[in-house]
Amino acid sequence: MYRASGLRIMQQLRRRIPAEIQGFQSAQVAPALQTFTFQQQQLQQHRWTSTTTASGKHSSPQATTPPPRHDWNRAVSEAERIVGYPTSFLSLRWLLSDEIANVALHLRKLVGSAHPLMKTAKHLLYNGKNTMQAWGLIVLLVSKAAGHAPSVPDVEQDKSAGVLHSQRALAEVTEMIRISHLVHNSVVNLQSSTQAGQDVATYDDMSFGNKIGLLTGDYLLGHSSAELANLRNQEVVELISSAVRDFSESEFIGERDEQNNPLPYKPGTFQRPSLSVGVDFNEHDVMTPMPIAQVLGNPEEEWECRNILNAGSLLGKSCQASLKLAGQSEELQRHAYRFGKHLALAWQACLDAEPFQCPQLPLDVTFSLVSAPVLFHLEHDPGMYAQLEAGKQSVDNIDYDKIHKAILAGPALVKTKELQRKHTAAALAVLQHFPATDARQALENIILAMQDL
Amino acid sequence: MACLSTSGRVVCGSRRQQAHKLLYQLLGSRPGLTAPAPSTGFTPPKVQQQAMRLFHGLSFSMGKDYPDLLQSPHKCSHSLKYSQSSQQNVRQHSSVHTQQPAGPVREFQIDPYIILDDDLKYFYDDVRYLLKSGTSQPELDTIASYYFDGQGKALRPMVTMLMAKAINYHLNNESHQLVHKQRQIALFSEMVHSASLVHDDVIDQSDFRRGKPSVNALWNHKKVTMAGDYILSIASIMIARLRSDDVTIVLSQILTDLVQGEFMQLGSRETENERFAHYLTKTYRKTASLIANALKATAVIAQADDNVAEVAFQYGRNIGLAFQLVDDMLDFVSSTEQMGKPTAADLKLGLATAPVLFACEKYPELNPMVMRRFSEPGDVERAFELVHKSHGLEQTRFLAKKHCNEAIRLAQELTESPYQKGLQVVADLVINRMK
Repeated sequence: MYRASGLRIMQQLRRRIPAEIQGFQSAQVAPALQTFTFQQQQLQQHRWTSTTTASGKHSSPQATTPPPRHDWNRAVSEAERIVGYPTSFLSLRWLLSDEIANVALHLRKLVGSAHPLMKTAKHLLYNGKNTMQAWGLIVLLVSKAAGHAPSVPDVEQDKSAGVLHSQRALAEVTEMIRISHLVHNSVVNLQSSTQAGQDVATYDDMSFGNKIGLLTGDYLLGHSSAELANLRNQEVVELISSAVRDFSESEFIGERDEQNNPLPYKPGTFQRPSLSVGVDFNEHDVMTPMPIAQVLGNPEEEWECRNILNAGSLLGKSCQASLKLAGQSEELQRHAYRFGKHLALAWQACLDAEPFQCPQLPLDVTFSLVSAPVLFHLEHDPGMYAQLEAGKQSVDNIDYDKIHKAILAGPALVKTKELQRKHTAAALAVLQHFPATDARQALENIILAMQDL
Repeated sequence: MACLSTSGRVVCGSRRQQAHKLLYQLLGSRPGLTAPAPSTGFTPPKVQQQAMRLFHGLSFSMGKDYPDLLQSPHKCSHSLKYSQSSQQNVRQHSSVHTQQPAGPVREFQIDPYIILDDDLKYFYDDVRYLLKSGTSQPELDTIASYYFDGQGKALRPMVTMLMAKAINYHLNNESHQLVHKQRQIALFSEMVHSASLVHDDVIDQSDFRRGKPSVNALWNHKKVTMAGDYILSIASIMIARLRSDDVTIVLSQILTDLVQGEFMQLGSRETENERFAHYLTKTYRKTASLIANALKATAVIAQADDNVAEVAFQYGRNIGLAFQLVDDMLDFVSSTEQMGKPTAADLKLGLATAPVLFACEKYPELNPMVMRRFSEPGDVERAFELVHKSHGLEQTRFLAKKHCNEAIRLAQELTESPYQKGLQVVADLVINRMK
């Protein structure tokens, strides 16, 4: 009874949100629904006649007839077919739990309030290109591209998809952890010294939203650790736990405004390191944190560090862990880690550049003050820091238009694109260590499509 | 024997000095280690402190003689003698009163905190060391270690270690390596508990905990949330390093239970019949599961059979339930100073705990208040008054007592040892505690 009602509530919620939240991208369908309809969409959009099965035969159509332009949605749906079925965690399984039915019920009370949790929920429900929904998918594709050791028993394999059941579970854990971080990040700082929730009505909304957000994130974390434990591989547990650690650590780096939005370091705070060699985790000890202090003062290295902690770590470590499950060599595991890391960084650079694609900053659009264009521009023109200081209390106090214009006039955007290309190339280069399969091809297509976004 | 101290931390203080003296007498002849001047308090040289904490925490580089000495039966008699001779100290230092009447002297006077002194002495230092080693960000370290100041009761690690050692004795396997692993499980239990406190602070928005400002009063709530996740991740890494699949599975159950318990507390509106069962399930998930599964994990890692593991689990479940029942009762009777947090806090949060649910039987007018979560003005005061007029508190205590007796019965299934006795004493401490 509970479950049925949970489903209904979720569906109602989906129908409600578009009406009540401004500025939502109307053309998109909730991912769970997409699951059922995407084949039809494919037929309409691309007039497909060939019915390639998901049997993992090496007969991918795009290998012979590459699409003229790399299309993101197409690259993703084709990739989903290659590994069996869409892996987005927002699948029916996720909806069929009492706790989530409960959350949906409570979320309804928040619809219309200004709590950032609603924004996060919206992002998760509507599969926009801005959210990298495809993380679990990437993990599965890397798993399939690498294959598994001959010693893995038959019962553990999902033959039709070419991945192990354990790898599928890991992909799900990866998405759960990422969502839990996003949800925990939507908690509002309600300390009495802050601006947030000063009047009673909003305070109640905010504090209720915090409660739901916190519990939902904890629910996801708790379930991911239970799923991880069931994989019965302690090295994998160790690795993925350290990715959770990296997520939390990333929220402490550098200066922050009242709502913990990051601000860049004041130019000249650190001596610029003489040798700009990238830093990464200690391979032999996952407990050792990222030595970020070594690179502060170099915009590119600093950006890289922040975003490895914030994104690359989970994707890289999940890819690595997935190959661990398949009994692959340490060397291939390292390649998988590097692939995930570079892919996440390339993706982040692409997202960072996005607000600067149009000459005028669209209304209500802002950008992170530690995004690559801002950091590069600060290196070029340290004087801009004076304007950023206005954001010390809240980043909303900053004149984004002015900074947008300044950045467009400077060399930062070119450098950001360069950065993206650098990591794209690195990811593609690492891929060459994997055997040529339809899964590898799908990964390449996703990377190329990302470049065109 | 007037009081079995519940204030283990305080006793440890005085006991600790004597233990150190004993230890340094024993070690005095070893080359490279010199005994400190015994006169002024106790301030060990840094090198020695380091050597000590390595033994307790992370490696076994210490000479073998020292642990052997402490393991010998000789040590046990020392331990008992010291616990008697330090009675005077207990009375002087203990700030806590128990409800146990000054009656006939008990046959065995075991203070679990004293027999576990070796395991608990550097407990919080080890947690803080772990948390520090996992991050490069000082603020994260500060928030994460805030509640590991050694001021808590350390009930969970204490019970975990008692059960671990009782099981080891039962199985006749007392290797130091095993104890070390079980101690990691104890660390895990305390870390998960603190992580849940940190997240609770953000949810409940209370300003004080354990007599000091709570984390949410001092730091950005976003950072506090992340610090909770951080503690959890470090604890998971530590457990993964034990390389035992079964232990990880048993312990991961704790996390899912904790969250499910929190969701249950968000409150669906059950009928009167279901309400008590709902309350007990919630209590199990929020409190007892942590103790029960941690105790079970110590049995699993000792490769005990399923029966022993089940004894450990059920003992922990009963102790956990009794502990929470007493906690819910104390919420109505203790003063703010004693608890370190405001009283009737549960009512103010809209929660109907056992005393209220029992009181409902005599005063049905409480039912609508329970349903509306004591939200109307005057509800909290009225409910508080009715609970005191009813037998709700006695009934809650009676239920807790039943769980404690069951726990004692379960403990008796293990081979008799000081630790097994200690498990029975813990049941007394839980029912008789005042804070």
